[in-house]
Amino acid sequence: MQRISVTLVMALAVFGAACTNLERSRDLANPAIPPAVTAVQVCSNCHGVDGNSVSPNFPRLAGQQEAYIVAQLENFRSHNRSDPAGYEYMWGIARHLTDDQIKGLGEYYSKQIPKPIGQVDAKQLALGKQIFEQGVPDKETAPCMACHGPDAAGLATFPRLAWQHQDYLLKQLHVFQDTEGRPGTPMKQITHLLTHQEMESVAGYLQAFPMSVGK
Amino acid sequence: MFATSLAIRRRILGTGALVAGIFGFIATLLPIDSIALPLFARQTGQNCVSCHAGGQFPELTPYGRKFKLTGYTMGERATVPLALMGVVSSTRIDNTSTGVASTDFPSNGKLEFTTMSVLCCGKITDNLGVFAQWTYDVYDHQNDQNRWVALPHIDQFDMRYADRFIDANRDLIFGVSLNNNPTVSDVWNTHNNAFTPVPTYVPAANSVATYAGAVPMDVAAPYLEGEGQMAGGLTAYAFLNNSIYAEIGFYRNVRGALSFMNASHYDAIGYPSKMQGSNPYWRLAYNKDWGANSAMIGLHGMNADVYSDPTNTGSSIVKFRDVGIDGQYQYILDPHVVTAMFSYTHEKQSYPTDQLGILADNASNKLDYLRLKGTYVYQAKYGAALAYTSAKGSNDPTLWGSVSGVTDSRLWAPEVFWMPVQYVRVGLQYYKWTQFNGAKTNYDGNGRNASDNNSLFFYVWGAY
Ligand code: HEC
Ligand code: HEC
Repeated sequence: MQRISVTLVMALAVFGAACTNLERSRDLANPAIPPAVTAVQVCSNCHGVDGNSVSPNFPRLAGQQEAYIVAQLENFRSHNRSDPAGYEYMWGIARHLTDDQIKGLGEYYSKQIPKPIGQVDAKQLALGKQIFEQGVPDKETAPCMACHGPDAAGLATFPRLAWQHQDYLLKQLHVFQDTEGRPGTPMKQITHLLTHQEMESVAGYLQAFPMSVGK
Repeated sequence: MFATSLAIRRRILGTGALVAGIFGFIATLLPIDSIALPLFARQTGQNCVSCHAGGQFPELTPYGRKFKLTGYTMGERATVPLALMGVVSSTRIDNTSTGVASTDFPSNGKLEFTTMSVLCCGKITDNLGVFAQWTYDVYDHQNDQNRWVALPHIDQFDMRYADRFIDANRDLIFGVSLNNNPTVSDVWNTHNNAFTPVPTYVPAANSVATYAGAVPMDVAAPYLEGEGQMAGGLTAYAFLNNSIYAEIGFYRNVRGALSFMNASHYDAIGYPSKMQGSNPYWRLAYNKDWGANSAMIGLHGMNADVYSDPTNTGSSIVKFRDVGIDGQYQYILDPHVVTAMFSYTHEKQSYPTDQLGILADNASNKLDYLRLKGTYVYQAKYGAALAYTSAKGSNDPTLWGSVSGVTDSRLWAPEVFWMPVQYVRVGLQYYKWTQFNGAKTNYDGNGRNASDNNSLFFYVWGAY
């Protein structure tokens, strides 16, 4: 056992030092690692292999617009998106990704199939649906679907919202409303007069987005 | 007594200068923006909360567990893979007087520098990574004049090679770990003694209190929990589909090239125990994550054959057979983190006939060891915890050295803590003994009660 372990350690060290394992690497600073490898080896730990994250701490990326994913990764890398969770989790992840890797990651996750999450409170659903479709005119809040699409699937840099975690959506709405963590978007104006309850409801409606509409 | 505390103080000053020197040296090597970042955070660029539940070291989140299981290889290699960790603390024991002046605890209620660790951790290659810790204990042990001796020694060591096959249909992580402590390789912080210091699961092990001379604070613990830095082990593990975890390995005494894994203080005070041959450690667990929840239920065990005289490899063998069950539940949804965990280990000890009346009275004994803990952390800043430890053994006066003949210790430990920034934790803990070594009152036959060991522990923990 003594001899075995010494030999093993030495073998491991020599073997390990000699090769980079491009097909299964978790290195975030090597431009040679293919994005699909980074996606399954690293991103999957939080966002899921297929982009359908389990924990509401982590946004779902499945079926998200490619251009939006690319824009957000660039925002994390440039520190332009600086809300606490973005800073805590994503700045480090994105810091040395190359433009090509970012593009590849956007492509990988946009091609994954989104899965429904689950129902929410019926009262929230009704109010949420109303806000989503009609906005809140007396608060200068345009209907969400005007930009995010009638099926909430997004378009280019307008993100997909359907079947996203309610908790995550609500957190982002507060980021837009209360902070400058995600600057330069129409969302500041849209959220600035909404109540917590209105935001919670529309976030709930989006999480449980009707199957017949969402894809 | 005065002389002792003066010596300690001088030692602290010396250590302080050493720490400052090391800090200064490292600071000159690092680019400014990474100065205040402990290693793994530097490697992944992420905040501690990604891997440690609510930022409480050492408890891991589901992501932190994957980070460890994949061999500390996620992220990028750090240029200077060194970090420092230190504890300043104060312990106030309710009653320090034992009637023997030389063993009374001299530092009662004083704020003192207790331990400092240097960590050298991180990614080495795409498949190889290491977690290595050296610790400088101000109260390492007492010499024959009852003076405290400070010593630097290796602490936890875990070097692993890991790989992961993952696609839409399966996820298999597997690896091998070379380490110096059974359970250090585990990723749940339940039965894992390396990262759950006695007696509570806190970052700042109460080393002053546990080494408080004649005021013993340690409870009897199963063999599995006590082999740290005395042996080397090689374990192989696999984690399938984020649900089934299995690990098996062998521990034995190490010599030669691997003896760096042994803590040097045992060379000074003697090895408390020495194993014969290769001794199996195993672990099985089932894990499930749903929504913001993560739960685990598992089994663990170790069979150890130990020389009855650690200095004589011709001596007869004492056998320890440990089997346990443990579990954990975590709820992590910003700003709340809730954790509940338990670990129960049953140990059977068998003594050879030539040791009856020497090490133990009975040929066979047992020990039941239970730990429970619940924590709540808000905003990764404010936290509260309640822990309970109980150790109960069969009747054997020689083995336990207790007046009642049994060992039976029960400890409640409530704690509140505050993390003003992610690398600093300030905590206040209370240890309440409802039973100590077999009795509530007069447990030592000299009138000392379990409650005399109650203590208040204040600590400042920092990492750099
Ligand atoms: C340790 C967990 C973790 C890992 C690993 C991780 N992320 Fe994230 N990611 C997060 C969190 C948390 C957020 C939410 C950030 C916020 O609220 O600003 C996020 C947000 C994002 C967003 C923005 C989503 C949106 O709807 O705006 C994208 C895109 C993203 N991550 C991509 C990735 C990619 C690509 C990887 C792998 C290279 C990755 N993430 C790895 C935790 C993680
Ligand atoms: C005028 C167009 C517009 C309207 C109307 C609009 N949004 Fe947005 N929304 C955007 C854009 C653009 C972004 C991307 C912001 C960025 O790049 O940081 C966004 C982002 C978001 C996000 C963050 C998603 C993520 O994955 O992080 C949420 C949540 C959101 N919108 C909800 C809503 C809701 C709810 C409404 C209706 C009350 C609404 N939006 C109406 C344009 C709009």
